[in-house]
Amino acid sequence: METKLASIKSDVQSLERRGSWGFPPLSAVILIKWLSTLVIGFFFVYPIIRLLLLSVETNQGWSGVHFAEVLRDQRTWLALDNTLWAVAGSTVLSLVIGVGLAWICAYTDIRGKGWIHLLALMPFIIPSYITTLAWTQLAGPTGLLNKWAAQLAGEHLVLWNVYGLDGIIVLMGLSHYPLVYLLTLAVLYRIPRDLEWAARSSGARQWQVFAKVTLPLALPGIAGGGLLAFVSSLDNFGIPAFLGIPEGISVISTLIYEQVAGFGPDAFSRAAVLSTLLGTVALAGSGLQWLIVRRAKADHTQSDDKSVRFSLGRRRIWVESLVWGFLLLTSIVPFFAMFHTALIRAYGLPFTPENVTLDNFWFVIAGNQSTKQAILNSLMLAGLTTLICVVVGTLLAYWRIKSRDTLAKGLEGAVSVPYALPGMVLGLAMILTWIEPLPGWSPGVYGTIWLILIAYVTRFLILQVKSSASTILQVHHEVEEAARINGAGRLARWRSVLLPLYLPGMLTGAFLVFLTSLSELTVSSLLWSSGAETIGVMIFSLEQAGSTVYSTAFSTLLVLLIGMAIAGGYWLRQRWERRGSHE
Amino acid sequence: MKRMWEKGWQLTLSLIAATVMLAGCGAGGQSATGQAPAATTNTSSGEQAAQQTEAAPAVVGTLSFYTSQPDADAAALIDAFTKKYPDVKVELFRSGTEEVISRLLAEAKAGSVKADVLLVADAPTFVGLKQQDLLLSYQSPEADQIPTELRDPDGTYYGTKVMATAMIVNTTQVKERPDSWQVLADPANSGKVLMPSPLYSGAAAYNLGVLTRQETFGWDFYEQLKANEVTVTKGNGAVLKSVAGGEKAYGMIVDFLAARAKQEGSPVDLIYPKEGVPVITEPIGILKETQNPDAAKAFVDFVLSEEGQKLAASIGYTPIRKGVEPPAGLVPIDQMKILSADPVELEKTREADKKRFGEMMGGN
Repeated sequence: METKLASIKSDVQSLERRGSWGFPPLSAVILIKWLSTLVIGFFFVYPIIRLLLLSVETNQGWSGVHFAEVLRDQRTWLALDNTLWAVAGSTVLSLVIGVGLAWICAYTDIRGKGWIHLLALMPFIIPSYITTLAWTQLAGPTGLLNKWAAQLAGEHLVLWNVYGLDGIIVLMGLSHYPLVYLLTLAVLYRIPRDLEWAARSSGARQWQVFAKVTLPLALPGIAGGGLLAFVSSLDNFGIPAFLGIPEGISVISTLIYEQVAGFGPDAFSRAAVLSTLLGTVALAGSGLQWLIVRRAKADHTQSDDKSVRFSLGRRRIWVESLVWGFLLLTSIVPFFAMFHTALIRAYGLPFTPENVTLDNFWFVIAGNQSTKQAILNSLMLAGLTTLICVVVGTLLAYWRIKSRDTLAKGLEGAVSVPYALPGMVLGLAMILTWIEPLPGWSPGVYGTIWLILIAYVTRFLILQVKSSASTILQVHHEVEEAARINGAGRLARWRSVLLPLYLPGMLTGAFLVFLTSLSELTVSSLLWSSGAETIGVMIFSLEQAGSTVYSTAFSTLLVLLIGMAIAGGYWLRQRWERRGSHE
Repeated sequence: MKRMWEKGWQLTLSLIAATVMLAGCGAGGQSATGQAPAATTNTSSGEQAAQQTEAAPAVVGTLSFYTSQPDADAAALIDAFTKKYPDVKVELFRSGTEEVISRLLAEAKAGSVKADVLLVADAPTFVGLKQQDLLLSYQSPEADQIPTELRDPDGTYYGTKVMATAMIVNTTQVKERPDSWQVLADPANSGKVLMPSPLYSGAAAYNLGVLTRQETFGWDFYEQLKANEVTVTKGNGAVLKSVAGGEKAYGMIVDFLAARAKQEGSPVDLIYPKEGVPVITEPIGILKETQNPDAAKAFVDFVLSEEGQKLAASIGYTPIRKGVEPPAGLVPIDQMKILSADPVELEKTREADKKRFGEMMGGN
């Protein structure tokens, strides 16, 4: 098979050289390759290098003294140990929940799939400090859970305390499972059902079908989502800050913040050393993911098949209670905790009729001039970021998968690093780079909204790359070869064959990029300037000023808006599909 | 179906084209205005420079203001200032103290500080910047109205308000108003006390430095707090939440947050313990590389003037200038027993203090 394909490839290449079939000549391909390497290198790798240089920079020239100092510190190793446990644990949790929920939603006859889909995305939209706050009220030492437990037991009893490493693992797992869920879902719909039937009819049990057929075929999506969950947990600051600090537990991301916030003369250098550690872990994770995906199988591809493949029968009611119980606990309760705070006159008052007010919502809508500007800015930034990421990310994923280039591998790794670094660190790298990118050249983007755009694209491109890659990996290259042999030019091949096939993964990625950049907080809080405030900056400011009731009101509005947008999109897609089937 | 695809394709292409054009315009427009003060070859900026020298003391141009004040406060200050100096356009960057200083230091590392005036946190932070030679020395005519211990003798920074760290209690849980910090170390209150972490909050780090240098407290006080199972949280906002929400009964907190919450109706009370309180002053200073020193000086003078101080009081802070009334619920500076320490020494030992604290609280 491989040799046959290789011979076809060389035929095609010789044709390409002759410039027939409308292919660009080979030299143009090489030029494009180097040009894109240069662009990606400049936007993604260069800022990281500028940052890394800080770690070896001292007053007396280059030296490893900061590395030695940080690596000798006992706290670094404790934090690294905690980080690895937290990240590994939460990734496993995200994988179990994400894959399980995706399988149930894609294949079974469970009811209310649209709602499940919407609610499963909530943890991703609700700011993590809200979720964390809701959980401390639920499972803190004096939270509801432990109060009930104590009442039932008739004595002081702490059933589970959310503060600590176990709480960090659970909450990060719950916050990042939507990444696994979304990427897996897109892939599951594409698995041809005849393969599963074939396995069933040859006597395989349902779990065997799942393990031997579904899992290997869905691996591109699962591994991609798993990697994103892994990397998201690495850079997560909010959850370990909230749940770890009171218990004296630090992870690398909180340690970095601590260093930067210390403002000492060597603060940046030590933060840069710690960032190197984080980056190394992220790259190792990326490498591991590729080792796993290498075993993935691609097969005859078909378009989305959303029919029911597995009837739950009498078990349906149990599965439904389980799923809805889970969603209630992880999506609805945090949302209502937030909503409930937003309705109260002053933080901490009991929820009684005389304390309930809509003034907080009114304040964030009308009482503040910059609110509208911030929403417009964020929408604009998120839109442009999504557009750029969809194009660049898909092309990069395509190049990475279709060629066995080490260059492409390296570039993909490089693109994942900005996402794994805490927002604060990436923001600093952006400042260092963009005031004067090259000696004597200041492009004037610093202090404007365009720097935020550059930062968003740099940070979130990996979301698109992984999502697009999950479907690109699933489409066997025979499809493209067939189109090529039938005489389709590069453009025609993309337009009428590849794009429709890649669309689910591309849309998933676009969706993720849009949502994350819409509510991005840390990078914007470092890079914004007059007139360029974003939604995240507004929430951050309100929260920092201690105006919790306002910040929760704003977040509630944001969640409602996004929820409406998702519901609208869902409705449009259903109409579209119905029309498509009439045609 | 195919037609639809074609349409989609065209739409995408035109969107991309629009984006590229938009980005091009934006970047071009911005670079022209952004670089105007520095570039001299540019004709329009040359004219601007000429105008500036003609009307030498006139306060005009743009002023880049970096601050960690809450959004509304910064906006009120800028409003009042531009009412007085309508020819100055103030550009604001507002964020957490950590973010503001990090951005400033990163700009310095990259070789070009963009800020003209800075207003953040506490004196030791400014001492650090002064030692890195980032601040301009300026003797404000308003200086003699500011207590000497709350400003820099070299004029690189001036305190702008008084924010004391006091005690907050939840009124539904604490019936008798305590009057001493020692109540936090009382074993009867074990597990009910909360404080912001010096590792994350600049104000808390300052308090740590000041309190450990007092004879009545010292490190023993923090040892007692630890024995009392004190909860260390990220910042003052989190302290307010926990105490107002009833999760804890006592907390150390910056006074105006508690006063504000109390007035809005949260079930809390604010207490200035009899031993005294550490205060931070949110100093203001001018950056050495400022492109517009005249406007920067006018801004600093305005903040320290009676008018500026009355504004601070109307927003809800204790003014630093003698003789200006503080807002309701807060005590004026001359009635406050201030615990202090040398800011230069505090700056020097801040890292060691924080490390010792981190090891003491986290070393389990």
